Amino acid sequence: MMIPVRCFTCGNVIGEHWEEFKARAREGEEDPAEVLDELGVDRHCCRRMMVSHTDLVDVVSPYQ
Amino acid sequence: MADDFDVEVVTRDDRSARLLVRGLTPAVANGLRRTMLSEVPTFSIDTVRFVENSSVMFDEMVGLRLGLVPLTTPLDDYEVGESATLALDVEGPATAYSGDIETSDDLVQPADENVPIIELKEGQRLEFEADAVLDTGKEHAKHQGGVAVGYRHLQRVTVVGDADEFDEEEPNILRGVIETEDGELVHTEEFDADLTNRHPGKELEIEDVPSAFVFHIESDGSLSVDELTLRAVQSLRDRADELAEKVAV
Amino acid sequence: MSYKCSRCKRDVELDEYGGVRCPYCGHRVLLKERAPDVKEVSVN
Repeated sequence: MMIPVRCFTCGNVIGEHWEEFKARAREGEEDPAEVLDELGVDRHCCRRMMVSHTDLVDVVSPYQ
Repeated sequence: MADDFDVEVVTRDDRSARLLVRGLTPAVANGLRRTMLSEVPTFSIDTVRFVENSSVMFDEMVGLRLGLVPLTTPLDDYEVGESATLALDVEGPATAYSGDIETSDDLVQPADENVPIIELKEGQRLEFEADAVLDTGKEHAKHQGGVAVGYRHLQRVTVVGDADEFDEEEPNILRGVIETEDGELVHTEEFDADLTNRHPGKELEIEDVPSAFVFHIESDGSLSVDELTLRAVQSLRDRADELAEKVAV
Repeated sequence: MSYKCSRCKRDVELDEYGGVRCPYCGHRVLLKERAPDVKEVSVN
């Protein structure tokens, strides 16, 4: 649905970096690993939150 | 406990720090870590009154997300249990961000401004009023000010000689902070956590430095690392004093 | 109780005789609207 506010494992706030990550690594051409390094998302628990996330608001919004 | 602790700052910025503390027992080190997580209070949204929520998420789901947004906490102005009021009103098409939240007290603000709360489509609207309560991590994990607070032994790396010429070149992975022979503190990230990068072809001896701990402290932004640490130490001291007082005959 | 017809999107009042059916278009799928009062949610 929406990116979780915090990392499930360590509790670091990751929602903060989502939009930039999406713009640069998903829609842009940059290497996700480099973008995450630059954003300061260092731990692999936080990185998987970003890498494995899918926005589903567009998918569910017709059913309201 | 009679001796003073010797504290050295390895790295420090507003939200994360590495501190080397000498003269600690493991019990005190762990006590400090636990205190940082569970005894230092921070603000967090506790009750939400939804005026309108026509977004794709349920009230409870939005409420849960709001609870996790870190809020800056002026600890001098509030007591545990006191609250501040926040409000948000966003109409789609737009995304409601944590930065859109308005607060009754300027000192209680969302620590991060770009956390998406919910994406709103045409005609959808989110309006609520919320109470943020000052409480401790013991009460609910959303009140924890520290994130990934931990410690490791300081490790001393000494070169004892050259490695045997026909020894297999295996990586020698070490995490945390090391102390070199001349007392310099180096984080292992500087040589990619592999000692063979730093001392190629050498035989090394690694030992834990007794009663020296390197704390890694990260804050979610509700408090600065300095304040988090100092408040934790204060809380630990207060409770130790209280215990001493109650146990005394 | 107020409902909304999922096909013609009009507000529908149900009574005990008419059965579950939109009186305007005959559609049988009705959606219950969110109550207009403020809802308090505790976050924990």
